[in-house]
Amino acid sequence: MSDVVIRFKFYKKDGLKYLSHLDIARMIIRALNRAGFNLIYSQGYNPRPKVSFSNPTPLGLESLAEYGDVFIEGDVGEEDFKKRINMELRREIQVTEAGKVQGKADSLMSRIDIGLYSFTLDTGVSVREQQEKLYKEVAGLIKKSDFSDSIFKIRQEALKEAPNIILLKLFGYAKIFKGKGNSIFKFNNFYQFLKELLGKYGIKVKDVKKEELFVIKGDELKTPVEII
Amino acid sequence: MGGIKRLDFELLEELLEGIEKPGRYIGKEIGTKSKDPRKIKNLKEMVFMALVFPDIYEVGMSNLGLQILYDIVNGNKNFSVERVFSPWVDFEEKLRKRRVKIFSLENRIFLDSFDLIGFTIQHEMLYTNTLNVMDLGGINIHSKQRGEDSPLICAGGSAVVNPQPISKFMDFFVIGDGEEIVTNILEKVRLYKKNDKGKSWFLKEINRLDGIYVPDFYKFYYYQNGLIKDFKPRVKVKKAVVRKLDKFRVITDPIIPNIRVVHDRFIVEIMRGCWRSCRFCQAGIIYRPVRKREVKSLIRKSIKGIKNTGYDEISFLSLSSSDYGEIENLVGGVTGSLKSKRLSISMPSLRLNSASLGFLELIQSGRKTGLTFAPEAGTQRMRDVINKNIKEDEMLECIKLAFGRGWEKIKLYFMIGLPFENEDDIRGIVELVEKIINAARNEIPKRKLKRLKINISINAFCPKPFTPFQWVGIESPESLKRKFDFILSNIPRRYVNIKWSDPWRSLVECALSKGSGLLCDVIEDAWRNGAKFDNWSDFFNYEIWKNAFENSGVDIGLFTTRNFTVDEILPWDVIDIRVRKKSLLKEYEKSKKYV
Repeated sequence: MSDVVIRFKFYKKDGLKYLSHLDIARMIIRALNRAGFNLIYSQGYNPRPKVSFSNPTPLGLESLAEYGDVFIEGDVGEEDFKKRINMELRREIQVTEAGKVQGKADSLMSRIDIGLYSFTLDTGVSVREQQEKLYKEVAGLIKKSDFSDSIFKIRQEALKEAPNIILLKLFGYAKIFKGKGNSIFKFNNFYQFLKELLGKYGIKVKDVKKEELFVIKGDELKTPVEII
Repeated sequence: MGGIKRLDFELLEELLEGIEKPGRYIGKEIGTKSKDPRKIKNLKEMVFMALVFPDIYEVGMSNLGLQILYDIVNGNKNFSVERVFSPWVDFEEKLRKRRVKIFSLENRIFLDSFDLIGFTIQHEMLYTNTLNVMDLGGINIHSKQRGEDSPLICAGGSAVVNPQPISKFMDFFVIGDGEEIVTNILEKVRLYKKNDKGKSWFLKEINRLDGIYVPDFYKFYYYQNGLIKDFKPRVKVKKAVVRKLDKFRVITDPIIPNIRVVHDRFIVEIMRGCWRSCRFCQAGIIYRPVRKREVKSLIRKSIKGIKNTGYDEISFLSLSSSDYGEIENLVGGVTGSLKSKRLSISMPSLRLNSASLGFLELIQSGRKTGLTFAPEAGTQRMRDVINKNIKEDEMLECIKLAFGRGWEKIKLYFMIGLPFENEDDIRGIVELVEKIINAARNEIPKRKLKRLKINISINAFCPKPFTPFQWVGIESPESLKRKFDFILSNIPRRYVNIKWSDPWRSLVECALSKGSGLLCDVIEDAWRNGAKFDNWSDFFNYEIWKNAFENSGVDIGLFTTRNFTVDEILPWDVIDIRVRKKSLLKEYEKSKKYV
C-alpha cells in the first residue's frame, strides 16, 4: 500500500484560541493517534511523527485558517480523514477541509505567502459618507505607517444590515520576497498600533480573526488546499 | 451556598490579555467529566466539590491522585467535582486588581460557590499557596471564622499526615488513601446540604470515618517552652487504607492537558507502598501496606489507555518499580501488542543493576537517555545507617557495563546532613564520583568521552514525621553549606554538573513538616508578607520566614535543629499511620549500630 500526505485546514476559536502553536500541534497528533491513523515517523535519533503546520497564529487570535500536512501509512480518504479526526477534537477546533497532496509536499511554512486578517470595527456612525471618510483616513494612516511594507493590500467591506460596522480586510506578507523590499506582517505589533489609532477616532474593535492563508500563483491568490 | 456563581467568558477574555500561558486557565480538555450546573434542575440535590491543587496547572495536572479522585467523584450521579489550580503570579495580580475571585476550570464556578473544597497537598512548601487560593476565592482562611454559608474545607495528600501546622485553616483532614473515603464524605455533604444541617452536625458525622481528623474536636496543651504537654481526647485518627487497588479502575480516559505539563504522558499506578524501609523515607511508611495491581488487567488497561489518549509515552508508577515482580511481563505485554506504535516507557524509581540494564535498553527502545542512581550517601557505612540497600561495587559494575554499551549520561542523587554523618561520608561522595569518571575513561572510547555527563543532585536531609529518623534534628544551614562547599571544591570539574538545594529552604521545610499547631500563625504571617510558591527557588525568601517566626514568637529551632526526645509527645501523635511508634524507634536504634 502506498502512503499518503493529507493537507487539512482547521479552525481554532473560543477558549482554545489561547493555545500555542506547539500545544495545538501536540493536540492534533494525539487526536490523529486516537483516530487510529498510523502516522509515519521521521528517521533518526529521536523519531517524531511527520506532521507540519502553517505559520503560528498569535496566542488568543481566533483563526479560521490553520493548515497542517500529515504523512499517513496506507490509503486514507479525504472525507474519512475529516470525519475521524473531528470526532477526536473538541468543537472549538475542527477540520473543515482535507485533501491528498499529489507529488512532493513542500513545507507548508515555506509555501505560505500571505495571511488575511479581518477586523470588525464599530465606528458608531451610520451615515454612509461619514463612514467612508473615516475609513479613508484610517486606511491612509495605516498605509503611511511603519507597517506599510508588510501589507500586501487592504480593503473594506461595508455591511448592509449594520451600517455602523466596517469590515477591514488586511492582507499581510508571511514571508520576505526577493527584491521586493517587503517585511513580514507582525500581527501583535500591528494590532497594538491599530487599537491606539482607532481609539483616537472613537472606533471600537468588535472582532478580529485570521481568515485565510494564500500562496501567490501568477496573478492569483490560492489557498493551500487549492494548490495540492 | 447561595446558588452557583460563574465567571462569564467575556470577562475571562479581558483577564487573559497579556497573561503568560493562558491555556492554564481555560480548561476545555478532552476527558473532563464535571456536570454542567446550568443543566441541573435541582441544584440542592447535587454536591459541587472543588478539587484544589495549590500549584500551577502544569504541576497539578501531572498528579495521578488528582485524576483518580476526579474520576471517582464525577462517576457518581449525585456529585460533581471541578479543578482549581494556583494561578501564576501575573494572573493572580490581574484577579486581585479586577477583584475577580478565583474560579474552577470546567464551568468557571467561583471557589466560594462550591459546597466542599478539597485541597490535595503533596508537600509542605505548598501551605502558603493553600492560604493564597482560599483568599483568592474570597474565603476566610480561619476555620473558626467561617460561617454556615461558607464552603466546607478539607485537605488531604502526603503532606498532611502531620496536619497540625495548618490545623487552624481546615475544617477537617483526610489522612491516607482517598478512594473510598471521598464518596463517604460527599454522601454526608449531600445530606448536610439537602437537609440544611449545621457544620457541627456534619463534622460529627464524618468524624466516625477512618482517616478523618477534625482539629476542632481536639485540644492541645503546651508547656511554656512550646513543647506539647498533652492533647485531648487521646484518641488517634486511623489512616484510611484501600485494601485492594484493583477495586478501583485504572483510569483509561484521563483528562488530557491542552498545554504541555511536567509529566505529559499516560500514567498507570502499578503498585502502592514499598517494603524497602529506607530510614529517611516517609513515602515508604505512609503508603503502606504494599499493594499491587494484577498484571494481566494492567496490560489490558495500559493498551486501552494508550489508544484512548493518543499519548506516545506511558509511565508505570510506583515507589519501586523493580519490586513489582512481573515488571518485565508487564512491559513486554504492553509493547508487544502495540508494536506498530512508537511507544516510550518511563519508569520512575527503577533500581538499576547489571541484570536490569538489558531491560532498560529494551524500554528505552535503543535510545540511551540517561541512567539514574540514588546511592543517597557516599559510603557504605552511611548507607547502612539509612538502610539504603545499594552496594557500591554493584552500582559501579552496572555503570561500567552501561558505559560500555553506549550510555553517556548518569544522574546521581545524594543527601547530606544525614544522621551520624562524618567527614568520611562527605569525602565518600567525591570519591564515588571520581570512581565513576575513572570507569568512564576505561570504558568509553576517547573520542566519545567529551560527551560524558554526570549530573549530581545534592539535597539536605530533612527529617519527616512517621520515619525512624523523625526524632532527629536537621543539620544547621551553615554546616550544610560548609559540607556542600567542600564537595564543590573537591569534586572533579570536568564532566560534572552539580546542583543542590537551598539549605535555608530545607530548614523551613523541616519546620513545616514537624511543626505543631504553633506553626499556624507562622504560616499565616509568612503568607501575609508575601510568601508563596515556596518550593520555587526564585520565590522562596528566607527573610520572610525568619520574620514570621519572630513575629509569632515561635522558636524555629524547636522543630528543626533540635533532636526530639523519644518520650515527648509529637505533634503528629494524634494520627495512627498504622505503623507503630515502637517499630520506628526500633529502626532508629538499629541505625545507631553503624556509628
